[in-house]
Amino acid sequence: MIEVKGLHKTFKVHEKEPGFMGSVKSLFSREYVEKKALQDVNLTIDNGEIIGLIGSNGAGKTTLTKILSGIIHPTSGSVSVLGYTPWDRKDIYRRQMSLIMGQKAQLWWDLPALDSFLLLKEIYQIPDKQYKDSIEFLADSLMIKDQLKVQVRKLSLGERMKVELMAALLHRPKVVFLDEPTIGLDLMAQKAVREFVKNYRQEFQPIMILTSHYMEDIEELCKRVVIIQEGRFIFDGQLENIKSNYATSKLIKATSLETDKFESLKKSLPDHLGRLSYENDTIQLHSPRGSVMEAASYLLNNIKVLDLNINEEEIGEIIEKIMREGKVNA
Amino acid sequence: MLSLKWPIQVYLMELRKIITYRADFWVNFFGQTFFSIVISYFLWDAVFSANNTDQMNGFTLEKLVLYYLIAPIMFRIQQGETIGAISREIYEGSLNKFLIYPINFYIYKITTFFSHSTFYFFQLCLMVFGFQLFFYDPEIYQFNLLDFFLFTILIGISSLCYFAMNSVTEFIAFWADNIWSLGVITRFLTRFFGGVLIPLTFFPEWAMTVLKFTPFPYIVNFPIQVFFGNYEIEMFIKSLMALIAWTVIFFFISRILWKKGLYSYSGVGI
Repeated sequence: MIEVKGLHKTFKVHEKEPGFMGSVKSLFSREYVEKKALQDVNLTIDNGEIIGLIGSNGAGKTTLTKILSGIIHPTSGSVSVLGYTPWDRKDIYRRQMSLIMGQKAQLWWDLPALDSFLLLKEIYQIPDKQYKDSIEFLADSLMIKDQLKVQVRKLSLGERMKVELMAALLHRPKVVFLDEPTIGLDLMAQKAVREFVKNYRQEFQPIMILTSHYMEDIEELCKRVVIIQEGRFIFDGQLENIKSNYATSKLIKATSLETDKFESLKKSLPDHLGRLSYENDTIQLHSPRGSVMEAASYLLNNIKVLDLNINEEEIGEIIEKIMREGKVNA
Repeated sequence: MLSLKWPIQVYLMELRKIITYRADFWVNFFGQTFFSIVISYFLWDAVFSANNTDQMNGFTLEKLVLYYLIAPIMFRIQQGETIGAISREIYEGSLNKFLIYPINFYIYKITTFFSHSTFYFFQLCLMVFGFQLFFYDPEIYQFNLLDFFLFTILIGISSLCYFAMNSVTEFIAFWADNIWSLGVITRFLTRFFGGVLIPLTFFPEWAMTVLKFTPFPYIVNFPIQVFFGNYEIEMFIKSLMALIAWTVIFFFISRILWKKGLYSYSGVGI
């Protein structure tokens, strides 16, 4: 279980004026500003639960992950992960935890992954049989068996991420922090990583915190999400609730060959029917839930529609809206 | 209880890493040996000729050339990894992984340090062997197993001392953006006041008296004197005690900086 109470983290950041003179000036006097990375954060995660941590760059996601994994100290507040205070860095805690940072390699670049795994086997004191079983299971699930003897620096980004995942999960941690594990990966690799995490969860049921900018990751893996903005949680709840609470409109997509009428249709659309945009032969109409039928009829009556779909707003757009408006909810 | 399995694995892994770049190893070895011989020979030949003498401060020209072969390679053993091996981990954020793994960062770094030292020690043994084989002259150097054994032990202790002293400057990276210059200065001071650049017998008496209160002669000059067999038992014990004392002092300061530094550490990026 993870319990976070009243967590604050403030960084002191050096500010330098731009240009050469700014550099010279900073040699003699420096100005520091305080950056509040986390403000009064409270969080409880049950055993076996996975949460998605969402927020824009600099919102405080990575800071929270670093505190929970024991890399940095908070300014104030208390944290208990599996009953331990992470920044005490007790070996017994570190043996049960793992952190995967998509933007930072943890494996030894100049050596094949298998060499690093051998070291991790000794570091985590993994018994021989468990080590063999873990390698087998992880390499098969990630389909990376052939690349384990290749120098890590010579692997592609997707392959590197896969071996990083293997390294982090060899010791079967009870808590896993995944900080943007799919960043920079192509669609195939993103899907493979998502599938793997899903299977791994089913097999071992660890507590997981997933940080990602890709909504597909969150939607596919997490039932619960936490939205963080400027160091504060502005939403903590079920992903489904986001849709029911915040999806105030639906998205109507229509395809038509009468593209020359799109602009006049946009101008003549009554305000209460929503907001219309178009690209090539497709019209997108964000319409309030109560006016969806009327809006669809309006389109059908005014242009010749080849195809029409009515969908819920995309979760990414809803979250973007919440972040834009900074709504607070729990 | 400390498991020795992972440090052994780290040690072997680091050796494998060094062997991966074997071309660099041999170029470095032959390049350094060649330039040390050529430069020291021509430089000191000119000095000896100008003074019209064949012995200066206890050194003949040939013995000085051997000194300039041994001293730099010994210092390389002691300095282990390159400048910034620790500070880079701090300001690039790769220290994170050492804070996550259930291991002691010091033991990890000392182990990688010694795996680099092992390679340089291998180079030194090659040089001593080569000298014995091709240029044997008891007037210049007489191999003695006991001296070489003591020299090896001293290199181990002085390397630890240099590691601890260096870690004090490297840990300043917790607060400073870049400590490269500080690392260069530490290295230069050790080379100069330890006797790598000029043997300490060439220093004036008053300078030698002052230097006794610094760690430098114990880190560099002391093991070299033992290598050449220029020591008495009383001097040996006193110097050994001083070397151990400096090692303990530097580890103590380094430990304080490490603990305080971790409070300031941001792990790079918010």
